[in-house]
Amino acid sequence: MGTSVQVTPLCGVYNEDPLSYLVSIDGFNLLIDCGWNDHFDTSILHPLSRVAATVDAVLLSHPDTLHLGALPYAMKHLGLSAPVYATEPVFRLGLLTMYDHYLSRKQISEFDLFTLDDIDSAFQNITRLTYSQNYHITGKGEGIVIAPHVAGHLLGGTVWKITKDGEDVIYAVDFNHRKERHLNGTVLESFVRPAVLITDAYNSLNNQPSRRQRDQEFLDAVMKTLRADGKVLLPVDTAGRILELILILEQYWAQHHLTYPIFFLTYVSSSTIDYAKSFLEWMSDSIAKSFEHTRDNAFLLKHVTLLINKSELDNVPDGPKIVLASMASLEAGFSHDIFVEWAADAKNLVLFTERGQFATLARMLQSDPPPKAVKVTMSKRVPLVGEELIAYEEEQNRMKKEEALKATLIKEEESKATIKADLPVGDAMVIDAGTTHTSSDAAVMHGDAYRDILIDGFVPPLSSAAPMFPFYDKSSEWDDFGEIINPDDYVIKDEDMDQAFMPVGGDIDAKFDEGSASLMLDTTPSKVVSSELTVQVKCSLIYMDFEGRSDGRSIKSILAHVAPLKLVLVHGSAEATEHLKQHSVKHVCPHVFAPQIEETIDVTSDLCAYKVQLSEKLMSNVLFKKLGDYEIAWVDAEVGKTESDMLSLLPLSNPAPAHKSVLVGDIKMADFKQFLASKGVQVEFAGGALRCGEYVTLRKVGDASQKGGAAAIQQIVIEGPLSEEYYKIREYLYSQFYSL
Amino acid sequence: MASTGQQTTSLKRRDSLVTREGDQLIITPLGAGNEVGRSCVYMSYKGKTVLFDCGIHPAYSGMAALPYFDEIDPSTIDVLLVTHFHLDHAASLPYFLEKTTFKGRVFMTHATKAIYKLLLSDYVKVSKVSVEDMLFDEQDILRSMDKIEVIDFHQTLEVNGIRFWCYTAGHVLGAAMFMVDIAGVRVLYTGDYSREEDRHLRAAELPQFSPDICIIESTYGVQLHQPRLIREKRFTDVIHSTVAQGGRVLIPAFALGRAQELLLILDEYWSNHPELHNIPIYYASPLAKRCMAVYQTYINAMNERIRNQFANSNPFDFKHISPLKSIDNFGDVGPSVVMASPGGLQSGLSRQLFDKWCSDKRNACVIPGYVVEGTLAKTIINEPKEVTLMNGLTAPLNMQVHYISFSAHADYAQTSTFLKELMPPNILLVHGEANEMGRLKQKLISLFADRNTKIITPKNCQSVEMYFNSEKMAKTIGKLAEKTPEVGENVSGLLVKKGFSYQILAPDDLHVFSQLSTANVTQRITIPYSGAFGVIKHRLKQIYESVGSSTDEESGVPTLRVHDRVTVKQESENHISLHWTADPISDMVSDSIVALVLNASREMPKVVVESEPVVDEAEEEKKAGKIIHALLVSIFGDVKFGENGKLVISVDGKVAQLDKQSGEVDSANEGLRERVKTAFRRIQDAVRPIPLSAS
Repeated sequence: MGTSVQVTPLCGVYNEDPLSYLVSIDGFNLLIDCGWNDHFDTSILHPLSRVAATVDAVLLSHPDTLHLGALPYAMKHLGLSAPVYATEPVFRLGLLTMYDHYLSRKQISEFDLFTLDDIDSAFQNITRLTYSQNYHITGKGEGIVIAPHVAGHLLGGTVWKITKDGEDVIYAVDFNHRKERHLNGTVLESFVRPAVLITDAYNSLNNQPSRRQRDQEFLDAVMKTLRADGKVLLPVDTAGRILELILILEQYWAQHHLTYPIFFLTYVSSSTIDYAKSFLEWMSDSIAKSFEHTRDNAFLLKHVTLLINKSELDNVPDGPKIVLASMASLEAGFSHDIFVEWAADAKNLVLFTERGQFATLARMLQSDPPPKAVKVTMSKRVPLVGEELIAYEEEQNRMKKEEALKATLIKEEESKATIKADLPVGDAMVIDAGTTHTSSDAAVMHGDAYRDILIDGFVPPLSSAAPMFPFYDKSSEWDDFGEIINPDDYVIKDEDMDQAFMPVGGDIDAKFDEGSASLMLDTTPSKVVSSELTVQVKCSLIYMDFEGRSDGRSIKSILAHVAPLKLVLVHGSAEATEHLKQHSVKHVCPHVFAPQIEETIDVTSDLCAYKVQLSEKLMSNVLFKKLGDYEIAWVDAEVGKTESDMLSLLPLSNPAPAHKSVLVGDIKMADFKQFLASKGVQVEFAGGALRCGEYVTLRKVGDASQKGGAAAIQQIVIEGPLSEEYYKIREYLYSQFYSL
Repeated sequence: MASTGQQTTSLKRRDSLVTREGDQLIITPLGAGNEVGRSCVYMSYKGKTVLFDCGIHPAYSGMAALPYFDEIDPSTIDVLLVTHFHLDHAASLPYFLEKTTFKGRVFMTHATKAIYKLLLSDYVKVSKVSVEDMLFDEQDILRSMDKIEVIDFHQTLEVNGIRFWCYTAGHVLGAAMFMVDIAGVRVLYTGDYSREEDRHLRAAELPQFSPDICIIESTYGVQLHQPRLIREKRFTDVIHSTVAQGGRVLIPAFALGRAQELLLILDEYWSNHPELHNIPIYYASPLAKRCMAVYQTYINAMNERIRNQFANSNPFDFKHISPLKSIDNFGDVGPSVVMASPGGLQSGLSRQLFDKWCSDKRNACVIPGYVVEGTLAKTIINEPKEVTLMNGLTAPLNMQVHYISFSAHADYAQTSTFLKELMPPNILLVHGEANEMGRLKQKLISLFADRNTKIITPKNCQSVEMYFNSEKMAKTIGKLAEKTPEVGENVSGLLVKKGFSYQILAPDDLHVFSQLSTANVTQRITIPYSGAFGVIKHRLKQIYESVGSSTDEESGVPTLRVHDRVTVKQESENHISLHWTADPISDMVSDSIVALVLNASREMPKVVVESEPVVDEAEEEKKAGKIIHALLVSIFGDVKFGENGKLVISVDGKVAQLDKQSGEVDSANEGLRERVKTAFRRIQDAVRPIPLSAS
């Protein structure tokens, strides 16, 4: 029997909402992607909350909020506790993206859906894989093998291949077949005839100009504004497509010796670039090659200045400049503030490089015609003063006492469980101390935090009799040379010190830039002040597609090439989904599904299969014919049993019955024409048929372009009068096939 | 069981099985067999060939340093896997790629590839051999770079049916252990590995799957390392006390790999000891400086510790270590620590400094790693009274010599636990001096005495042959598999082989499960014929048993269908057409129809009207009986008609009775009965051929 496969979308079907799908393979529930939108709207997570507890594993495909944003929240509040699998860049850049979002949100609202330590703890149990690593799941999912493959689009972006019993389920969303500056194209096309393919319809209606043309237009638009003394704002994501944009600008600036300043402004910009520098293995061949030859890291930026703080930007002298700032949605983050500042000046340009998420400011501005004025909320975090501050402090003191009481209880519990403060635990505690007590005074706070750490790190195990240093009774041994010394005593102590020292030393700042660290530790009591204002949009607005996704036409041809047995469409507007569905039914395969949210569809293959052993006796008589990667032969065999109760195939005891002969091979009319021409036959195409010589015609009937459907057996008609030529051409035609 | 000394190569009783040639697995060390250096191991199974590593022997030069490449045909090699960048594992690669017929694919990890280029360019520059002796030049290295492909740890690749992936090996940055899977037989090649995590590298992983054969290094044989911390302490103590007494410390080290580990140790020690800050540490290797970019980039190939530090600042930005270009730039006033290459003190800067410092007893030389036999470093470990300087003079050896190994090869404890957990049924030892290897072998034999583990130590060019009884499994899928057959039933279908996996499927399913497709060729041929259609029908009926006649529904012309294969249609007054789907039998039938039609048109004038021949069963039977009789007579001679239709055959006084209807034979003589039976069956086949409809 085939492997049972069910797909249940939890979010992101028939619209452009974040992606989240539950794929169940023989009862093993895989949550593929766990996305959230830039609004952090909890209502779209309802379907996820209903199934979160039953999830057995989580696979992440891209390091942006649409693909992994809900992970911390789901882990903290929805009871998701399964192991998570992702590539190293998805892990790292995803973590940075979440930090950036959190910090941006925290600036403008009392954001309490998740905290930095929720992010950390969610990302802690990610198992990191490399491309084409076959990871064998153990335990409940025994027999399932997952493997990430290159998807393009974002650094580390993944097409997941899930294999059980030789049947492949492929999850490929947001792939890009085109090679870019920093990424290789997807390898999706190398998979053929998977049992199930889950893909998105997001771009099925879009077509893109060539990369060269698009890059040129982009640079022209930017240069025009800069030369006219304007400023350019590129609202970008935190750690995804930004890398490609930076490379485009870097290269152009280097080629043309431009001096206009470029700023990359996110809360984590320097970390992003530092990590990008160490991810060369994951990037395109050309980047790897240039590094091998010249040892020039492509992300050693010469023209782009990294900023993590808006005040640094404000200090820059006024004048033409480019600012790449997060978020792309303009809903929060630096890009929001900068937009509000710059929008009123007609010289300026806001250049969107990706379609804004639904119902965001960016999307509103991308509409045609763009709105003349938009209403925005300006929010700002201001320190508390006067009475508010006093009230806050009292409240805090009370809470602190309560917490301290609780903490001591918990700590006793904990120390019982974990005697040695190993790295992850210690790490979580550090941040915990730093953020949850948003206490009154920064200085006091710091002291507190560190004291907590020290106590945590060195709290004596409860199992020991009393909190005291280990003391041994000195029953020293003596011999003729004096006291016997065991050198190991000294050495091991050394090691202990070493290990205990390491985690405390370099961890707290290990994760953040100084700016974000200071921000995180900046516990001055504060509140958020909001004001509504209307912004006149006078600056020019341009949208160019730098999303790095395959366009509609390529998607269709890739689907036709991959030719899955069953196709599931997700993520894309209703029209796009419907369009691709219609197209696929006609040209890809007859089984196309586009389920609604929480609608479970069964894509179990109706495939039957059983395994047999091929006996040596049988195989010695089989003559294979080679056809490309394949070798093929006809077998007639009798079923027998081996000692281990396996079915085996033995040679027939009586002569084989005749069978209908099979012609195997794929004939392309154009190739065949060449072939005949090379044999000295006059050939030409006439009215869809191939005229060979004077009389004979050759035709292919049936829809040749359709693959996977019923008409996959080619029908070729050869017609002609009785003549020598006829037989000659038939002979050539036969030579194109293997007859079995 | 424990076959010592000379190898008995056959590991399986050859005669006991019908082994086909393809099941033989051959492993031949072309280098590093009972020696250290020029690692190169050849492996071949089922027509697939893999070469592991491609090194040179550091103690020789020119052609003599190469592995024994002439033992193999380089053009047959499918895949060449290089474990790490050390010269004894990678340095003959440019030669092999550019100067031999090799045309397979080469793989190594990203970091290995980046350092490989730097290292070999340096090697070409410093090796002082005559031009004829040069194995390759800078250009060859650059060209080889284009051919080398990269593989990431754990990434599974498949080339030509050979699947392989690699695990972290410890040892140096980018070092890998390769697991190769050919048709289900797995071979693990460890290269140089270390199971101990150090300052910047992860420990070698334990593979998830147990291999069938493990080719493992045996550099340190049965020796045991001191724990890392003790070694580090000894190292720093020696250096500290030497410089404190005003002496100079020379650390001859290979420029890359372990040197970085030592620098990390020194840098950290200096940071923790402010009193040493006025004592300079020099690192005399321009190469290492260039490689720093690589070390600073491939952080992800290192351990957690470094990765955490990386977020803070790059740990390979040393604060207390300054580079030293050459001895001319070196002031040499007062105490200092100098790390210089080469590690063996053969020549170069480390030798120059050694010559200068060796006679002062305040100075120290710390040898931090494995030293190859035949080098000066090996000599001074035994602390001779005198040494020969480069200029040929002898000088007293007064400086202290310390040997503290940081070479990150596995010791006996690591090797034995690694093998115990891995449990490979076959172990091949390479990369070790004959004596060390022999001791290790003895120890492993006693360790695995209760298991059926073979431990083999082949010499260079000595082939090890093994036999693997590979069971070929096929998966029957699609329509053919709708029902699992019972024992004794027949299965027929297409057997499709891709790589080493087999599928059996129905022809209609071929396009569903593979990229192959099937085709139907419909043929239409028109023949000029102006006679009556009835004639053809009549003639066909004379030849073929099944001729159906009808009229075409569209055009209303009469058609004939011969054996449900070929349709004959009267297109017009002057033409008839044949119409069939190509396959050998139909083609044959159509050919005969064509011949018949052509004959008919030639014989047109004399239209013969004949009554439908009455097929008389009895007549037929009689005719057949006659023929059978005649044929039997021609075989056996004396054949008589017996009672109730039986034939009595007598040969040399033995008598057999044959029943023509059932084919049963009665005879007292076994031999005769069989002979008659066979003869009769053949005669039957000839007289009554298989009716066409059966096909």
